[in-house]
Amino acid sequence: MTLAVEVHDLVREFGPVRAVDGLSMSVEEGEILGMLGPNGAGKTTTIRILTTLLRPTSGTAAICGFDVVREADEVRRSIGYVMQEIALDYLMTGREHLELQASMYHLPPKEVKRRVQEALALVELTEAADGKAYDYSGGMKKRLDIAGGLLHRPRVLILDEPSLGLDVQSRHKVWEYIEGLRRDGVTVLLATNYLDEADRLCDRLVIIDKGKVVVEGSPEALKASIGADVVAVELESGAEELAAALAERPEVKRTAPSHDGLHIYVPQAASFLTTLIRLADELNLSPGAVTYKRPTLDDVFLLHTGHELAEEAPP
Amino acid sequence: MTTTTQTASRAVYPAAAGLGLAAYVQEVTAQTNRWFIHIQRERLNLFFSIAQPALWLIFFGGMFQRTVDKSVIDAPNYTTFMLAGIMVFTVVGDAVAGAMPLMWDKENGFLAKMLTAPISRSSMIVSRFVFQMGLGLVQGCAILIVGLALGVRIESGVPGIFVMLVITGLLGMSLTAAFLGLAFVVKNHGDFFAITGFITLPLFFMSSAFVPLDAMPGWMEAVARANPLTYAINGMRHLVIDGWTSSLPGDLLVLFAFASLCLAAGTSAFQRHPV
Repeated sequence: MTLAVEVHDLVREFGPVRAVDGLSMSVEEGEILGMLGPNGAGKTTTIRILTTLLRPTSGTAAICGFDVVREADEVRRSIGYVMQEIALDYLMTGREHLELQASMYHLPPKEVKRRVQEALALVELTEAADGKAYDYSGGMKKRLDIAGGLLHRPRVLILDEPSLGLDVQSRHKVWEYIEGLRRDGVTVLLATNYLDEADRLCDRLVIIDKGKVVVEGSPEALKASIGADVVAVELESGAEELAAALAERPEVKRTAPSHDGLHIYVPQAASFLTTLIRLADELNLSPGAVTYKRPTLDDVFLLHTGHELAEEAPP
Repeated sequence: MTTTTQTASRAVYPAAAGLGLAAYVQEVTAQTNRWFIHIQRERLNLFFSIAQPALWLIFFGGMFQRTVDKSVIDAPNYTTFMLAGIMVFTVVGDAVAGAMPLMWDKENGFLAKMLTAPISRSSMIVSRFVFQMGLGLVQGCAILIVGLALGVRIESGVPGIFVMLVITGLLGMSLTAAFLGLAFVVKNHGDFFAITGFITLPLFFMSSAFVPLDAMPGWMEAVARANPLTYAINGMRHLVIDGWTSSLPGDLLVLFAFASLCLAAGTSAFQRHPV
């Protein structure tokens, strides 16, 4: 079976900077694959190569078996692409945008009107269709973009940060459409730096850091791989001391420094808390807050990259 | 497998991918339609693009009328002399303005969206040509009508007017291609305006628009002779003042050469991968 997306040892350099540094991944048909990583991890560069906007420095990438460099036209025919930025023509209505896009993908002229109508209905823009897209709210603009990406029924839909900058309500709307696509069996490649988005939408994740895939698996499997509860201790100082002391205790599987203290991985967090408090007391440390939770993708990220996802996100 | 790859790698035009001319026409039509939607919603822009050149003709013709030596311009009046220059001036302005939508598209990401669609790159240029030609034709006619109303006589008659519009179209296509190419390769619109602002006026003044070649200082004449605008202006001017002359084929030849050069440069700029 041909893979929907196949990327092998991809490298892209911008001068001295290696934005993508030997990245390999694949997406199976009908799957929603998430690329999770902080800004600057190389997600958008990878997507720009997959959408034929950028040539790789080395390595290969293919969509539905078509090489993105040699068979660019076939690749363009196979994908729908919703960019991170919202790019609109400031004089055209929502409907006119979609009609233009329909013609760019050579939909039969007789079907254009009907398909545009369907796409507008799907993203609930029927009523606003004849207003200037420039006047739409952020959420509506994004929905219009998504409708444009789906109009020609692409084999692979590529979404770059689909909920970036949207309010909570619009985000949930966008998520609902993406979940609808999963039911329709559309293959989706989704780049995001939101953990909740990756967790909720993706069948499988590749975690990307510094231009490479550091780990991949389903969100559940990745979280299960931590194999422990996470106890987060807030500490002004003394994190290393505490980590050293904890290293001798058999129930502690692992510790990792976090941006505001220490993360401790233990099988049973509740019964471990008294031990922790006593130990901190012996070391004369005064933890600000101690919390424990089931592992999240952030813990997965921290474990495999040595730093947290959230701290690198923009303010 | 090898065959498929080869076919696909040549698939710059949809024809090679088996979609044919119909698909190409669909691309060009849809994009041209976009430009006409623009001009319909920018009525003021439309009005001024048509009215302004005619106003130039009235201003320049009226202003210089009495200061000009008729034996130097070799024409019954300055308006008659200026007509060709105003037509070319309008073409230059249009070509710069015509590249601006591409500039905006490039900066706001719309161009990237278009480039990920399976369209022929040339359809983007061609749609702009179709639109610019339409606009240029209307402007050219407006200038001619105002000229005729001001008493300008076109010696070569209606066929001459037709050739003048062909010259306008040819120069328009050349300059539109050149400025579209420029818009595609510059980093941002600041650079675009800096370059166009720097070259357009000198390009115009260093031509035969205001003064005949043989009335210029030697160095300026040399520059003007290297300026393609001069050939468009002289070609049209003779059609207005003198009727059919033997210099017309030479002027047309230069304009054809210039058009080929601009089209080649514009296309090569477009074929470069955008960042």
